[in-house]
Amino acid sequence: MRLAYFFGFIAVFFTMNIEAANLYAGQERAASVCAHCHGIREPAKGAPFPSLSGRNADYLKLALKQYRDKTRQSLLMNLIANSLTDAQINDVAGYYSQLKR
Amino acid sequence: MKQPTFLFRHHKLAVMLTIWLNGCAIANANEHPDAHKLYNDNCASCHGFDHGGYLAPALNANSLKGRSPTVLRTVIMTGSFDTLMPPFYGRLSDDEIRSLVNHLQTTAKQPNPAWTITDMKASLKIYVQDESKLAKQPTYSLASIDDLIGVAARGKYGRGSGSKAVFINSKTHQKVGEIPTVTAAHIIDYNPVNPRWAYIKTDTAEIYKVDLYTMQVLRSIKTGFNGPGLGVSRDGKYLMAGSFVPHNAVILNADTLEPLKTFELEGIDPDGKMVSSDSGMVIGTPFADVFAIALENAGQVWVVDLKDGFPVTKITDVGRHLHDAFLTHKGRKLMIAAYDDSKVIAIDLQDRKIIKKLDAGCVPHVGGGSAIVVDGRTLGFGTNFGDCDKTVVSVWDLDKMEVVKQIPVSGGTESPAAHANAPYVAVDIISKDRRARTVQLIDKKTLSVVKTLDVGGHAYFPEYSADGKFLYISAGYNGDEVAVYDSVSLKKIAAIPMESPAGIFSHGRVKYMTRGLSPDEMEQ
Repeated sequence: MRLAYFFGFIAVFFTMNIEAANLYAGQERAASVCAHCHGIREPAKGAPFPSLSGRNADYLKLALKQYRDKTRQSLLMNLIANSLTDAQINDVAGYYSQLKR
Repeated sequence: MKQPTFLFRHHKLAVMLTIWLNGCAIANANEHPDAHKLYNDNCASCHGFDHGGYLAPALNANSLKGRSPTVLRTVIMTGSFDTLMPPFYGRLSDDEIRSLVNHLQTTAKQPNPAWTITDMKASLKIYVQDESKLAKQPTYSLASIDDLIGVAARGKYGRGSGSKAVFINSKTHQKVGEIPTVTAAHIIDYNPVNPRWAYIKTDTAEIYKVDLYTMQVLRSIKTGFNGPGLGVSRDGKYLMAGSFVPHNAVILNADTLEPLKTFELEGIDPDGKMVSSDSGMVIGTPFADVFAIALENAGQVWVVDLKDGFPVTKITDVGRHLHDAFLTHKGRKLMIAAYDDSKVIAIDLQDRKIIKKLDAGCVPHVGGGSAIVVDGRTLGFGTNFGDCDKTVVSVWDLDKMEVVKQIPVSGGTESPAAHANAPYVAVDIISKDRRARTVQLIDKKTLSVVKTLDVGGHAYFPEYSADGKFLYISAGYNGDEVAVYDSVSLKKIAAIPMESPAGIFSHGRVKYMTRGLSPDEMEQ
């Protein structure tokens, strides 16, 4: 039993670690790639891109994974998301979700 | 001031997008009838109305020879990461982008288009007829006019509703006014005699006369097609504006903006060739009733006397590809950067002669320049655009006119900021990687880098508030804010959101002439 608790704890610990977004890495990627179209707080006025700041992190992750896996179609986003790892998606989504609009 | 040039860093994306585009589309060789208009309306403010390049590279048949049309389409569509080039996806249709690419690859660099004094006069617009009825005091709370800081917000597309000059109270860090500028604002200058007047120049060479008390445009005039050069005379009566396209300059009445005289910029360059020339910096000086203007390609500095006929004294063989400059010794000496010689040249504006050519690292871009007095010596600071093996900030003794030190910094730099009351000289690192997020701080006493600030975005154009207590920095095209730091503790204390902020101009500059000098020294 004790061992099971132990492994359970380890599993939770690792899951948390995976889930914890590196906001600095997220910010860097957001600034160098995403912000080019989506801006940091908001996209450029008159630009046809949606705002990302303050959006739900789970939604952003899901959308990025769908773009990466091409289950959601977009010429630009399929290409941009193509090479993203889960960790990078996590960082970027974590960064944008905690920004105030 | 030049913005960093364009690079396409994310090759992988470009290649993938190229493959995709190749796979699904066949180019339409027919030129869109409005391709020229598309170019003028979307590209020319940065790439030049003559297709010859300006802030961004030249786009013409010669410069794009051998480039894959598909790659060019990709760049237009996605923009170019880590540069000012925005994504035109969704703004221009695929057909329009194709016709633009075809237009660019088949159009030669255009001859210098004409923009005469008659054209300028016809472009003068008056928004407020009777200026005597304007409020006598600022219509917002402000202790001193020198506390105003103006930011040139380019807007992501270099035009549109994001393009404006934003004015901030540097005591409260609150926005107090915005002036929409249609295209990207580049330079903000202040009238040294009438504190309520400011002048904004855009990348498309419009000049706006702004009333800072009521935060509105009073008048505007178009002085050319491209070019940031702008100066105000010490008596506040004249403006001088210089253009990249066409190759001319003009003196205006600073009150009415009426053009008084134009100058064709041409001359014999340091290699003995007669050339037509872009205008580099234009500067008024507290030293005399003159303007100095740099002829970039001709390598000359012209000193224009503000009297009948505006006579010109030409100083030749100054250097190759002149650009910007700053003043010292109460405005008598002018320190001007020559990109291609990697020198900064000291000019005496009284004798109208070159004093000395000083080593200046590589591709010196002095921005607004900085000068400080340390232990009785006046030291000048010069930033360097170039990404050479050794990236340095040059320090000169401006009394003896000799190099004191070349301070190693982490990358290319664009503009130094200093203030008599602040302990550090701030320089913006612009090398195109993570370093672009940073600003480095040089200790005035030890003349070495003591701290690196991680501002985020593409951090550039640091500027101190007039009291020296705060350091303002543009987080640039990827940061979308101006960040404010305490100039001693270097803690970030405020952020003012705006689209693609660039140059920052404190009203205090009027008092201290060159950033870092104390107003007291000016009065001596």
